[in-house]
Amino acid sequence: MNKCALLVFSMAVVAIAAGCSKDETTSRDADLAGVNVAVGEKNGPFKKLFVLNEGNFQKNNSTLDFFRFSDGNYVSDAFGSMNPAVVQGLGDTGNDLCLFAGRLWAAMNASGVIQVMDANDETLLASIPVPDPRYLAFSGLNVFVSSYAGAVYGGEETKGKVYRISLDTFKTDAEVEVGCQPEGLAVSAGTLFVANSGGYNYVHDNTVSVIDLKSFKVTRTVPVASNLRLMVADDNGGVWVSSYGESTWTQDAGGNWIQSMSEPMGLYHVTSSFAVQQAKDVHVSCMTKCDDGFIYTIGNAAELTGGYDNTLYKVSAKDGSVVSKSFSGTDASAIGNPYGICVNPKNGDIYIADADYTGPGKVWCFTKDLQKKWVAVAGMLPAHMVLY
Amino acid sequence: MLLSVILGLLLLSPAPVVQDTLKAATISSTAGSLIVPQRITSRELESASGLTEAIRRFAGVQVRDYGGIGGLKTVNVRSLGSEHTGVFIDGIQVDNAQNMQVDLGRFGTDDIRGVSLFSGQKVSPLQSAKEYSSASSLYLESAAPVFREGSRNNHIVSLGVGSFGTWTPRYSWEHLFKGGTMMRIGGEAVSTEGKYRFHVKDYRTYPDETIAGYDTTMVRQNGDLRSVRLDARLYSPFSAEGLWNIHAHFYDSVRGLPGPVYKRAGDYPLSQDRQNDMDAFLQGRYSRSLGRIWSVSGRAKYSFSHLEYVDFPELRPELSSAHFNYRNHSAYISGSAMARLGTRFRLNLAQDFQYDYLDADLMDFAFPGRFSSWSCVSGVYSSGPFEVSGTALFLEVRDFFLSGGERHQARRDVVMPSIVARWKPSDKFSLNGFAKRSYRMPTFNDLYYTTVGSKTLDPEDALQFDLGAVWTPVASGRHSLNLRADIYRNYLKNKIIAVSTSNQFRWSMYNLGKVAVLGSDVTADYACKVGKGSFGTVLRYTFQQSLDKTPSTLRQAQDGAGSGTVDIKWNGQIPYIPLHSGSANLFGELSGWRADVTMFVTGERFTTSANLPAYRLAPWTILDASLAKSLSLKNGELNLKLCLNNILDEQYEIIDNYPMPGINLILKVEYSF
Repeated sequence: MNKCALLVFSMAVVAIAAGCSKDETTSRDADLAGVNVAVGEKNGPFKKLFVLNEGNFQKNNSTLDFFRFSDGNYVSDAFGSMNPAVVQGLGDTGNDLCLFAGRLWAAMNASGVIQVMDANDETLLASIPVPDPRYLAFSGLNVFVSSYAGAVYGGEETKGKVYRISLDTFKTDAEVEVGCQPEGLAVSAGTLFVANSGGYNYVHDNTVSVIDLKSFKVTRTVPVASNLRLMVADDNGGVWVSSYGESTWTQDAGGNWIQSMSEPMGLYHVTSSFAVQQAKDVHVSCMTKCDDGFIYTIGNAAELTGGYDNTLYKVSAKDGSVVSKSFSGTDASAIGNPYGICVNPKNGDIYIADADYTGPGKVWCFTKDLQKKWVAVAGMLPAHMVLY
Repeated sequence: MLLSVILGLLLLSPAPVVQDTLKAATISSTAGSLIVPQRITSRELESASGLTEAIRRFAGVQVRDYGGIGGLKTVNVRSLGSEHTGVFIDGIQVDNAQNMQVDLGRFGTDDIRGVSLFSGQKVSPLQSAKEYSSASSLYLESAAPVFREGSRNNHIVSLGVGSFGTWTPRYSWEHLFKGGTMMRIGGEAVSTEGKYRFHVKDYRTYPDETIAGYDTTMVRQNGDLRSVRLDARLYSPFSAEGLWNIHAHFYDSVRGLPGPVYKRAGDYPLSQDRQNDMDAFLQGRYSRSLGRIWSVSGRAKYSFSHLEYVDFPELRPELSSAHFNYRNHSAYISGSAMARLGTRFRLNLAQDFQYDYLDADLMDFAFPGRFSSWSCVSGVYSSGPFEVSGTALFLEVRDFFLSGGERHQARRDVVMPSIVARWKPSDKFSLNGFAKRSYRMPTFNDLYYTTVGSKTLDPEDALQFDLGAVWTPVASGRHSLNLRADIYRNYLKNKIIAVSTSNQFRWSMYNLGKVAVLGSDVTADYACKVGKGSFGTVLRYTFQQSLDKTPSTLRQAQDGAGSGTVDIKWNGQIPYIPLHSGSANLFGELSGWRADVTMFVTGERFTTSANLPAYRLAPWTILDASLAKSLSLKNGELNLKLCLNNILDEQYEIIDNYPMPGINLILKVEYSF
């Protein structure tokens, strides 16, 4: 295999010298300048809201931002500022961000690397090569990464993989083949579930692979719905999984072609006994599970008719009961394209990433009634958020 | 091109044409045009290392260059987008219904004697209807061969050797047949490894003024190119009643697509994609006079191109690669007639037809076909120093495509009016202006990128207003000075952009883009003869304020809420267009030696209309130089040329993450006999 970019010569790597002489309780990123977007909250349970901007594919402009609760400042490109000597920065197409044991884990899809950072000051701790990493999950001393594993669009049907990373060595130590183009994954009661999309295939995949963590082998493949995507654990050994949906083209009375959804971007429950049930009328373009025991999703309730009705859904992870609230008539109606969601379990605040594909996106903060608290200009395609 | 000029001269000159006039005509092919185009002369072409390097000297032009010899090179005039610029070889358009992008990197400079850029409306005798249709037109002009007294053959053999492992052998043969018909056949091959070093760097300044960052050198990989170009041209005798020429062209290449530079972990390679192209066309034109009033002209062309794109599963070599094949067929025919009605009025009528068809081996492909008809009426009225021309062009387009096993049709018809005026009180000064509305059709890629064709996509709508002046304060035998300035206002509406629909993972093309351009092009050209030598300078400057007026989302556009007040992109400078850019050229000639130095300067640009520091591309300045020497040998002439490009070794990018080469050189040896 060719070496992609031969490192010939490297020079002038100047370490960051100043800004570190604070007392020990202050994070080293405390000096990073930000834009003040809100009144600070001194005594909240969280220090920061991290935002991973996906960036445009192959533009190498994925960045990590954070909102600092103490002073209400939004800091752009914190990773770049704290790790100035890391060549080409965070990398390309950040596809997932997780917080685990005080460390931030970012799956950089096009760069083929998992970046591990100290959540306290965003300094880089490790870079772990994984081909086409998509989403992350954790259990015990392991991190699991779903991967397209080198498939190409238009090529032959190719199974994806899940890689296991050891937290001791920061290296992959096992892999298992799953369905085509696996996406979200979740560990529920000692079992790993993986959503297979088959997005590169002419006929999409529709299964969830079930992996026994001890043997690290696929023990079962459960048909759920076409083109699966995001996944979170329920509290009873099962998972909730969303679908990208399916679309068709039809002609209207005037002869115009209209692309419409034939299957919604729906939400499905796979129980611990592998029974599958669709959540009624829940649409999912982004999804998060909050420590308050609820799954929050945002979807377009009018997607099947080609209209716009962005709606917030609050789904009980336990019994599947749904409460929904349309954005229209609220401050959230100003959102262009909801691309990521995170919920504060303490006060119920809802953070929504708003992506614009040709310019920088925004991060909004709303109360649980969708009243605007603040908005900040983020990087390219803000998508994944975690509270620290 | 040449022929229309000659014919134009024949028709315009009341006096009998003598051979000298014809010789003069081979030098400038822009005679008879109402608006004087910007021109790159054969001198400038010879001193540049390639066609792209010559074309980027034009004011008002941004050449998009993805770097390296095999990298795509397209031209964007006055911020309207490369699809709005027609590229013509000898008066017949080079086009491509798939993406409407003409890669200038595929044409050599050897057959080309001059390049003219018409911003707005070209108005010259016996134009085809299609020549009226582009927002701007770039003309690559060849010329009939010139033979020495008593000789019927010219042979030119040359070899270029340069940086990146580049070899360019070429041979051409020119022949004068007994009846006066002339022929030129030739071929050129290009072989390059395309490897060059570039820097990846980023420094940031902290509030306490510490600076930290990185600067790493990498080598561009997978930029190799092997190509061969074969050309054959026939020119009718000068003395013929009707003038004609025929041109056959064949280009075949295999190349790597190095792709953008972005972070890749460990041993994972950047792009290993490959692209194989085959382009071929046969074109011809004929024109003749029919008595005192009428003259007619006909053109025809057939072209075929095959593009094969190969995507390797880079991390799993055991998997088979993905191949995508596109085959584009195009047939074109045109007839035009001109009548001189009295001494003051000239009428031009033209009718063109074209059929394009795209075949691809993609699943559920639309197999689109397009039938186009251009009908044009144009008149030129002149009275003393005033000359005014009005044109009405009607373009009818029928698209055919397959969807769900059924054949469907869509129609896209537009009317493109234009008016051009010139006031020329003396040979030394003229004022000119034009207003033009032109459209560019959605490309097959715009329409059929998603599996089913869009019926609703409209053509992009470009409206241009221009006011210019040309002043020649000095034109003595020894000195000549030419000044030229234009200011213009362009409005681009219905710009075709990709927008996510009600489901963010499904994209459609919409006519949502809007751009407003305020620009100015200024050129100063000075030349001086001293004894046996000559020297001079050409300065060109471009100002382009190109503001994005696009509503930020489809929903905002549909709700009419796209006022843009909360949109960071609203009123931002559009991507990749610098506010200021220019070039300065200095040349000198003495006893067979020719030296030429050109400096190009491009100001800062942004990769998105949100003009924030994170999306800024640094300004760049590059310096190119060439030195050439001609030696007369016993049986022929030997030409040696050394081109040094980017002498300052500037590390720059025209397109984000596509690094351009640093200092490089080309040495060319040419022997003609």
